[in-house]
Amino acid sequence: MDDDGGRGGEHARGSLRPDRESDGTWDDGLIARRVAEAGEAGEAKGGAGSDQLADGGAEPPRGGDASTGSSAPGGTRYDTELRPRLDSLRELIGLSRTRLDRRTLAEAGRVLDEAAARRRLSDEHTVVAIAGATGSGKSSLFNALAGTAISEAGVRRPTTAAPVACSWTDGAAGLLDRLGIPMRLRRRPAQSPDGEAQLRGLVLIDLPDHDSAVAAHREQVDRILALVDAVIWVVDPEKYADAVLHERYLRPLAGHAEVTFVVLNQVDRLPGDAADQVLDDLRRLLDEDGVALGEYGEPGATVLALSALTGEGVGELRDALDQFVAERGAPVRRISADVDAAAARLRPLYAAERRPGLTESARQEFTDQLAEAVGAAAAGEAAERVWTRNANKACGTPWLRLWRWYQARNAPVALRPRPGPPAPVDEEAAARQRVEQAVRTVADKAAHGLPAPWAQAVREAAARGAQGLPEALDEVAVTAGVPVGQRPPRPGWWPLAVLVQASMTLVQIIGGLWLLAQVIGVCPPNLGVPVLLMSVGIVGGPCVERACGVAVRGPARRYGAEAERRLREAAAACGRARVLDPVAAELLRYQEVREKYVEVIGVGRSGGVTKLSTTSG
Amino acid sequence: MLQKGSKIGHSSHVVTFDVRPQLLDALSVLRDRVAATRFPLPVAGAARARANREELLQQLDDYLVPRLKEPEAPLLAVIGGSTGAGKSTLVNSLVGRKVTEAGVLRPTTRTPVLVCHPDDQHWYTGKRVLPHLARVRAPKQETWRGRRPPARPGGRALRIETVDTLPPGLALLDAPDIDSLVAENRLLAAELICAADVWVMVTTAARYADAVPWHLLRTAKEHNVTLVTVLDRVPHQVATEVSRQYAALLTKAGLGDAPRFTVPELPESAESGGLLPGTAVAPLRAWLTHRAHDMGARRQAIVRTANGVMNSLRARTPELAGAVAAQHAAALRLTAAVEEAYEEEHARVRGRLQAGAVLAGDALKRWRSYPLDCSPEELLDALVESLVTLLLNAVAAADERVDEAWRHEPGGLAPGLTVRAPGLESAEHRVGMAVRRWRRVIEEYAEEEVRALDAPSDVRVHPRGGAPDPVALAALLATALLGGRRARSAGENLAERIGAHGALRLRDRGGNLLTSYVDKVLRVERERRLAPLDALGVHPEPQAELIAALSVMQKER
Repeated sequence: MDDDGGRGGEHARGSLRPDRESDGTWDDGLIARRVAEAGEAGEAKGGAGSDQLADGGAEPPRGGDASTGSSAPGGTRYDTELRPRLDSLRELIGLSRTRLDRRTLAEAGRVLDEAAARRRLSDEHTVVAIAGATGSGKSSLFNALAGTAISEAGVRRPTTAAPVACSWTDGAAGLLDRLGIPMRLRRRPAQSPDGEAQLRGLVLIDLPDHDSAVAAHREQVDRILALVDAVIWVVDPEKYADAVLHERYLRPLAGHAEVTFVVLNQVDRLPGDAADQVLDDLRRLLDEDGVALGEYGEPGATVLALSALTGEGVGELRDALDQFVAERGAPVRRISADVDAAAARLRPLYAAERRPGLTESARQEFTDQLAEAVGAAAAGEAAERVWTRNANKACGTPWLRLWRWYQARNAPVALRPRPGPPAPVDEEAAARQRVEQAVRTVADKAAHGLPAPWAQAVREAAARGAQGLPEALDEVAVTAGVPVGQRPPRPGWWPLAVLVQASMTLVQIIGGLWLLAQVIGVCPPNLGVPVLLMSVGIVGGPCVERACGVAVRGPARRYGAEAERRLREAAAACGRARVLDPVAAELLRYQEVREKYVEVIGVGRSGGVTKLSTTSG
Repeated sequence: MLQKGSKIGHSSHVVTFDVRPQLLDALSVLRDRVAATRFPLPVAGAARARANREELLQQLDDYLVPRLKEPEAPLLAVIGGSTGAGKSTLVNSLVGRKVTEAGVLRPTTRTPVLVCHPDDQHWYTGKRVLPHLARVRAPKQETWRGRRPPARPGGRALRIETVDTLPPGLALLDAPDIDSLVAENRLLAAELICAADVWVMVTTAARYADAVPWHLLRTAKEHNVTLVTVLDRVPHQVATEVSRQYAALLTKAGLGDAPRFTVPELPESAESGGLLPGTAVAPLRAWLTHRAHDMGARRQAIVRTANGVMNSLRARTPELAGAVAAQHAAALRLTAAVEEAYEEEHARVRGRLQAGAVLAGDALKRWRSYPLDCSPEELLDALVESLVTLLLNAVAAADERVDEAWRHEPGGLAPGLTVRAPGLESAEHRVGMAVRRWRRVIEEYAEEEVRALDAPSDVRVHPRGGAPDPVALAALLATALLGGRRARSAGENLAERIGAHGALRLRDRGGNLLTSYVDKVLRVERERRLAPLDALGVHPEPQAELIAALSVMQKER
C-alpha cells in the first residue's frame, strides 16, 4: 500500500510529456485542449487574476461574519472548477465500470467520496497536518504554533503515538470526527488576543512519525494524510534528505505542492550560513522530486527555515499559514490535486497511442478477405469464361464444330471434358480459415494502440460478431452466386452473328453447288462467281468467328464482373453488419469515455491557471 | 561509556585460523554455483532471490574468500548508517585528520573512502577486496565548503587514504548512506557493509527509532557478525535517557551484547570538516585499536564474522536453490502452455484437413469450374493459398492462446518473452515457403508417375491417346488430398487417368508428404515461440548443484 499508487502517479506524470510530443498528429483531445488552454492562460491570467483579487479584496480577510461573507471564494471555485471535473469523473467511472475491474476504479471512487464528504463539512476550516520524521520536532512546532504545550515533546523515540488536534475556531467537530481523532485529543490554542485574531479557521493536527519502527504509526499517518486539506512537512538538517521521506511521500504527493509547506526545523543547530546552504539543498531536492516551489509568486509549496526551539522563523510560518487559511481555498485545491492524481493514474487506461478507429484500408482489406472467402474472384472469372465459351461455340463455323466433336469422341475417356453430375449445393462453401483470418486482422487493427481493457472489448466484439459469420457467408455463396446449370444471357447482336455465320455457310454451299452444277453441266460454265462465293464463305466464316470472339470479350468481362460484384457486395454487407459495425460501436464507446476523461483532466488545467493567478495576487 | 560485550566470539565452535585449502576450494565452487544461478522470470520472490544472489556473491567475493585466504590482512571496520548520522565526522575524528568530506549537505559521502596505515596500503590497491570498485588515488585537497563535490562521471570508485595515526592492521571504511536518496549509493553501502570484519553502525539521538537502520541491525543479528553500535550526536542534556532507551531497544532486538558507544553532539559535529575532540571518540578508538593489536581479540572479531557469514550460508543457499526451483517450475508451466496450445491447434488443423476445409471459397469455385473454365495451375494456386491461410490461422490462434495463458502466469511477463521478433509477416513467409515446397514435390511426384506411364511396360494402362498432363495430374492429386469428401470425383478422375493402382500410390505418397509438411510447419513455429524462453536458460540443475556445493562446504569446515 505504500508507494504503489504514488509510483503509478509518477509514472503517469512522467508519460505525459513524451506523449504530448510524439502524439503531434492526433490532436483532438488531451493535447490540443491543453495547448489551447496554455494559450488562453496567458490572456486570461490578467483578467481572471484581477477578478479573483477583487473577490478576495471585497471579502474581509479576517474577522466579521465568516459564515456569510467568506464562503463565497471557496464556493465559487468549487462550482466553476471542481464540480464539473468531479461530475465528469463520476460519469467516467459509471461508463467504464463494465470494462474495467473494480479495483482500478476504487481510487477514483475514493476521491469522489472524500470530495463529497469534505464538501458536506465546514468550509470555514482548513485542516493542516504536521508530518515529519522522528525527532524532527513536529510536536515542538505544534506547540509553538498553538502557543502552549499541548503535544508531548520529548527525547524518547517515537514520542507522539496518536494524532493530536488543535482547532482555532469552533465547529470543527465534524472534520475531526472524519479524521477519527478522539475527544480527549482535541485541544484549543492558548488564549491570547493576538492568536485569536490570527489563524482563524485553522485546525492543526500533530501526526506520529512516518518513519518510525512502529508500523501502526505509519498507517495512521497515511490514513490522515489522505484526508487533510494541507500538510506541513517538518524536516531537520540531519534528515532532510531521507530516502523514505522523498520517495514515499514527497514524490507521490508532488501534485499537491500548492497545499504543502516544507519547513526546515532546528536551524539553531546549524552554524552560520550553513542554514542557507541546507535550505538551498532542500529546495533542490524538492525540485528533483517534482514538487513545484512557491517562489516568485508561482503556485507551489512554501519552503521555510525555522527553529521551534528558539522561535526563529515561526512567525513567518504563522503569517503564511494565516494567509493560507484566510483564502479558504485549501480544501478545493487539495481535492483538485487528488483528482489530478487519480486521473494521472487512470491515464494508461484511457489514453491511446494513436487515434482509434478503423481506417478505410482496413475495412477494404476485410471486405477483400471476405470476398475471397466466398470465392468472388474465382466465381467471376469462371462466369466470364463460361460466357466466352458459350459465345464462341455459338458463333463458330459448323465445320469447326464438327471437327471438335470428332476430336472429343476420339479422346480417352478420362480426358474428355464432361460436366459430370450437377454439383450439389456445397456445405461450408465459405473458407472458414479465410473468415477467421479476416476477423482477426480487422480486430487487431481496430484494437491497435488502444489501452488494454478497451482493446480487449474491441476484440470481444469482433469475436462475437464472427460467430455466425461463416454460416451467413455460406448462404451468401448460394444466393448471390451464379446459378448452377443456367445458361448465361446473350447480348442483342447474338442472333445477327449466328445469322451471318449461317449465311456464310450458306454462301459456301451455294457456291459449291453452283460449281457442281457447272461440272455436271446443268449450268453454263462461269467459274468466277461460284469460286468467289465459295471463297467468301470459306474466308468469311472464320473471320466472323474471330470478330465475334473479339466482340464477345467486353460483354463477357462485364458479365463476370457483375457476378463477382454481386458476391462481393453480399459478403461485404454480411461482414459489415456482423463485425465492422459492432467494432465501430465499441470504438465509439471508447471515444465517449475518452472525452469524459479529457474533461476530467482538461478543466483541471484551467483550474491551475486560475489558482495561479490567485496566488500571484 | 564503553560497554564492552563480554561474550564476543561465543560462536558455537571456535575454529582455528588455519584454513584448509579444501574449504577454500569448496567455497569457490559454491561461489561459482551461486554466480551461475539466473532468475529471469518475474515470479514471486524472484526479485528477492536476485538481491540475495548479489548479496551472497558480494559477501563471498569481498569478504569471506579473501579473508580466509589471507587471515593476516588488516581488520576492516565499515562505518555505516543513515544520512546525517555523522559517519564521516566520526571517521575523521578517529584518525585525527580530515580524510573524508563531512558537511551539512546531504548526501555528503559519494565516493566511499578507505583509510588505512601506509604499511597496509598494498592490501587494498589490488583487486583483493571490492574488485568492482575502481581505485582513486588522488586525495582531494580543495575544501567543499559551500560547494557540492562534482559527481564522478560513470563507474563506482573507492578512494584510499593513508594516515599513520591509524594503527597498522586496522582499516576504516566510510560508506555512503544506507538510506540515501541515490539508489545506487544504497546498493553500494550494502555492498561495502558486506565486506566488513567489524560492522560499525552509526545512528543518532534523533533517529535511533527509525525503521531503516533497524533493518541493517537485524541483518547483523541474523549473520551474527561482529557488530559495534555508535549513538552519535547526542545532546548532553538527554544523553543518559536516550542511551538507556537505545540500550533497551537493542536488548529487545537480541543485540544487547553488541558494544555501544555514545558520542555527544558538539558544535564541531555540524561544521564541515570539523573534528570532534579526541576524548569524544576515545573509547571507540581504543576498542578498535585493541582489536587490531591484540591477537586474541582480533581473531575473535574475525572468526565471529567469518563464522557468522558461513553459518548464514546454511540458510541462504537453500533459499536460493528454492528460488531456482521456482524459476524452473515457472518455465515448465510456460513451456507446457505453448505445447498445449500448439497441440490443440495441430489437432484442429488435422480435423479441418480431413473435412476438406481447404477446398472452400476461392479454391472450391475453381474446382467447380475445372477443367472447362479453369486451368490446373490456377486450381493449384488457389489450393496452395487456401492451405497457407489454414496453417497461418492455426499459428495465429495458437499464439493467441499462448498469450492468454501467459498473461495469467506470473512468469509470462518477463521482458524478453512478451516482445516477439518480427510478427506474423515472417510467419506468413515461412508457412508460404513450406507450402510452396510441398506443391513442388507434389508436381514432381506427378511427373514421375507420368514418366512411369510412358515406359513401354505400362502401355496397357492408358488404352487410347497420349500421356496425361503432369500439371493436371498434380492439381487433381492436390484436390483429392485437400478436398476431403467433396473432392471424391478428383480421386476418381485420377484413377481413370493413371489407373487405380497408380492413383492409390500417388495419393499415399502425397498424403504422407502433406502430413509431414504440416507437422513441420507447426513444429517450427512452436520452436520459434519457445526460443526466447529457452534463451533465458532456466534449468533445474543449479538447484541440486547449489545444495551439493553447500554440503561439501559444510563437510570441509
